[in-house]
Amino acid sequence: MNAEINGQLLWPSATRTNKLSGPSELHRRPACGGYRSQKNGSGRSLTLQNFPLGKRPAFDKISTMESSAPVAAAFAAETIGLTKRYPLTWKRKVLVALDHLDLLIKPGEVFGLLGPNGSGKSTTIKLLLGLIVPSEGEARVFGLPPDSIEARRRVGFLPENPYFYGFLNGDETLRFYGKLCGVNGPRLDQRIEELIDLVNLQNGRERPLRSYSKGMLQRIGLAQALIHDPDLLFLDEPTAGVDPLGSAQIRDLILKLKKMGKTVIFSSHLLEQVQEVADRVAIFSLGKKVLEGSLDSLLTENKGTQINLPADLSAEQQQRVLAAIGQAGIGASEGDIRFTRPHLSLEQLYLRTVQGKIGSTTQEPDRK
Amino acid sequence: MISALYRILTIGRNTLTEAVRQKVLNVLLIFSIVLVGCSVLVSQLATPGLDSAGLFDAQIKFVKDFGCGAIGLFGFFIALLSTAQLIPQELHNRTIYTILAKPVRRSEFLLGKFLGVVLLLALCVALMSLAFAATLYWQELQGLQATKAAYTADPHWQSNPVVVNLYNHDVASIHQQTRDPQIIEAILLIFAKLIMTSAIALLISTFATSSIFTIVTTFMIYLIGHMEGTARAFWLANGAHVSLWQSGLVGFVSLLIPDMNSFTIVDEILAGNKVPWSHAFNLLGYADVYLIVLLAVSIVIFDYREI
Repeated sequence: MNAEINGQLLWPSATRTNKLSGPSELHRRPACGGYRSQKNGSGRSLTLQNFPLGKRPAFDKISTMESSAPVAAAFAAETIGLTKRYPLTWKRKVLVALDHLDLLIKPGEVFGLLGPNGSGKSTTIKLLLGLIVPSEGEARVFGLPPDSIEARRRVGFLPENPYFYGFLNGDETLRFYGKLCGVNGPRLDQRIEELIDLVNLQNGRERPLRSYSKGMLQRIGLAQALIHDPDLLFLDEPTAGVDPLGSAQIRDLILKLKKMGKTVIFSSHLLEQVQEVADRVAIFSLGKKVLEGSLDSLLTENKGTQINLPADLSAEQQQRVLAAIGQAGIGASEGDIRFTRPHLSLEQLYLRTVQGKIGSTTQEPDRK
Repeated sequence: MISALYRILTIGRNTLTEAVRQKVLNVLLIFSIVLVGCSVLVSQLATPGLDSAGLFDAQIKFVKDFGCGAIGLFGFFIALLSTAQLIPQELHNRTIYTILAKPVRRSEFLLGKFLGVVLLLALCVALMSLAFAATLYWQELQGLQATKAAYTADPHWQSNPVVVNLYNHDVASIHQQTRDPQIIEAILLIFAKLIMTSAIALLISTFATSSIFTIVTTFMIYLIGHMEGTARAFWLANGAHVSLWQSGLVGFVSLLIPDMNSFTIVDEILAGNKVPWSHAFNLLGYADVYLIVLLAVSIVIFDYREI
């Protein structure tokens, strides 16, 4: 790996990773462009080219270069040209809630969906859950149609602002959802104990849900989503309306799930939290995915080079270092001077992306 | 298949629990029970100037009319209100998302919800019938007491076989009226009618956007269902020439809307006329067929509904 300043090669580096576009970079374009060749986590090269709409191959026919096994099974969730339109009959208009979304999410990933209200995050989740039918395109969960019973056995879902049944207490709620998933008897009892411990809701077991606080509701919601031990978890705004402490607890839970090897797809407005837990994010605006990639790659500025100097470096030393760099000579050892690219915070990236997108559009072109 | 039935049962039980824990329904239930009880008091005021036997007959008839009427009326409200809010409430609270994201088919969800209402109606009708039976039993005791008092006015009545026969006849008559198995037949038919009402409301609610729309539309269909039979009978009785479009219209309406008027056979039972069980079973079969059609259409519509 190399380090460079203003395009000048300085020395080989073992840490720099983002000179060239990685998989994430390939997604830094409007999603309607379709799939590009990319490397997946296992290093297999995918051959998902720009398929014209209506001529895209079926998921199980998209194969890897090296293996004839269906790619579908390699991903926890995937979408090709996924589109959702709502006809507004009385206004003679069509609302495009989601516009040709292409996503590939690997098992074990924590994937964040970001975007302002109405940008298509919840629609994406509902489509991946098979709760609504796409107007165009396809969605698959572990290679299965999302509305199939087999797919739903492998997914859990926490909706935005969940209410649940206020007349049931915590135990009854988990028992109800467990039975729906076919978990019964001692296994269900054991699972309830585990989940009550996991979400720390011992004080809510006998209380009706109508008396729960917002944070408690989110936590019981998370527990019901996990009752059948799913491989993939969809969390729609899991921290919405929750106080900072409850929000931190939910963040910790997501981290626990990540350690347990679960795939988590979640939407959130709390950018700092997303930054803490997500492996990759996609930013949506007006129904379109405008950016996707790993946090590391997205938060690294490609313009210029940042030089991090040791904090206790005196002004005189700094001058000497700069002078040395200016003369292409280095006065300090390589270990003292680290050359990295300047980082944005996720919030900066989010605002820049969303505001830029909205600013460049005049009459909401995605809403016809 | 068994797991699907288990899921339907789980949703049904949950729906029943929800309804039972709703105070509005409890109040309605208590109110109906009290109303049936009150019929006893009202019946005593309703028939002045009759001899003891005539008074008893009138009271029993009143209690039967009032009891079955109350079961039908309150059952109707319970069926209508509880079914109309089934789906809108789930959508509003977003609980439907948590259920349909689980391995549950939409048809299972809908059938489970309907099962819950049927269980609720069965529970309500059973409780109201119990109150009704208690009222009849109390009425029987009153009648027997009054009859005995009338006969024991003569201290030697037991020595006269004719009087004893008359007494036994009166007692048998009281038992016959208060322990009439046809009341069970009437309640069964009322229950079938309530389930049909609920199924109509369920069908409407699969595409309705509000509970009010479901309630009003179901009520209108209920009324049309009552008038449909009368209109058909009127045309047939007049012997007038029925044009093709008229018969087509009646046939279409008959197919679309169940004939609720056929269930007024309950009035015949309450009037003391014998209605054979075979006729009741025919009506129950008719209700079953309609139920299957209504549920099938509901499932198809709900399957395509955007939630």
